Amino acid sequence: MGLLTIIEKFENFVGVNFWTMIFAWINLLILYIILKKILFKPIKNMIDSRQREIDDMYKSAGDSERCAKELQAEYEEKMSRAKDESEEIVRSAVRRAQLKEEEILREANDKAARALERAEEQIELEKKRAVNEMKDQVSAIALDIASAVIGRDVSERDHEELINEFIENMGNDK
Amino acid sequence: MNLEVKGPKVYLELPFELPDSSIFTMKNLITQTTVSLLAVTVLLIVVALIATRSLSKRPGGLQVITEKLVNMLYGLVEGTMGKHNMKFAPYIGTIFLSSICGTLIGMTQLFRSTTADLSVTAAWALVTTGMVWYNNIKNFGFGTWLKGFTEPIVVMTPMNIVSEIANPISMAFRHFGNVAGGSVLTALIYGALTAASSALFSWLPGIIGEIPFLTAGIPAALSIYFDLFSGFVQALVFSLLTMIYVGGACPPPEELPKKKKKGVK
Repeated sequence: MGLLTIIEKFENFVGVNFWTMIFAWINLLILYIILKKILFKPIKNMIDSRQREIDDMYKSAGDSERCAKELQAEYEEKMSRAKDESEEIVRSAVRRAQLKEEEILREANDKAARALERAEEQIELEKKRAVNEMKDQVSAIALDIASAVIGRDVSERDHEELINEFIENMGNDK
Repeated sequence: MNLEVKGPKVYLELPFELPDSSIFTMKNLITQTTVSLLAVTVLLIVVALIATRSLSKRPGGLQVITEKLVNMLYGLVEGTMGKHNMKFAPYIGTIFLSSICGTLIGMTQLFRSTTADLSVTAAWALVTTGMVWYNNIKNFGFGTWLKGFTEPIVVMTPMNIVSEIANPISMAFRHFGNVAGGSVLTALIYGALTAASSALFSWLPGIIGEIPFLTAGIPAALSIYFDLFSGFVQALVFSLLTMIYVGGACPPPEELPKKKKKGVK
């Protein structure tokens, strides 16, 4: 019966119970310590560390981008330089080839001219020699013929002069 | 019909001679509120354990929600108290969760709302006041804190003291009154609807006439306002007031008195 009366007892609606306050404080303290340890701190740390990681990623991505852009600019510069260089090379090669061509042509012309000159000289020489030979022979033959025909001595020297004159005139007419 | 508004049920009484008046008692060791407080504590710890069971840099659904809520809490504390007072965030979060869960646990009908007991809200309000006084004395010095009561003019001293004492009382009664008032109102409406129901449908034969049809639905809708909404608002108000009072006692480091600043360095 005593138990029943205890169970049926209610506190005042507006009142302060010392022990409830103590319990409220203890519960608040326990909750504060435990929630701070298992909920607020870990979650906050997680958020912060993720934020840091994202910031780092963005930073490194920015760095990479800048680096890539620098590289690209460098490459482009190199490429344009290479283009200029190749053009220069081609131009100089063409120039050199033209010079070479001209030189070769000149040399060839020179050679041809020289060869021609030599050939002409040769021809002239040959001609002279042939003429001289012919002169000798003709004069000798003429002398022989004349001696044989006439049978008398002809002044060798006079006839030679005569014949020479004749042959020279003949050569010039040709 | 008779409607009684009662305080928490007493489970265990101390068998000694202790003060036991209508507004302050030391005789009732364990009451319904004690059980509710314990239930809230266990519930929150279990929920926290589940919510933080597998934390990872790439969060799952539950972790996203938890992180969002914790982020909101830190944002609120930063906005109200400033960046230098972030160390109070876990306490604010604890008091907010205790308050809202303490209020909502009454809706289960298994437990009585912890915040519908003045002892609990008074205890929490006293913690706030304790923090304010401690931080005031720590940051400004005892003399400056006492001198603060005579400002702006000496005549204001009694009023300043009264307002300082009124702060925890008003906080405690505001929270308690809203939650307890809500439950009283719900009980009243329940009674009124039962009476109206019996007046309207008593002509129905037999047991059908005794079924209080009107009590289905309407109290639930009202409960959404008086328990859910009001519980949330009161938890927020209590936390905000705590933040404002404690934040006022903890100004940014550059606004502290120079002597104290040197001492800190």
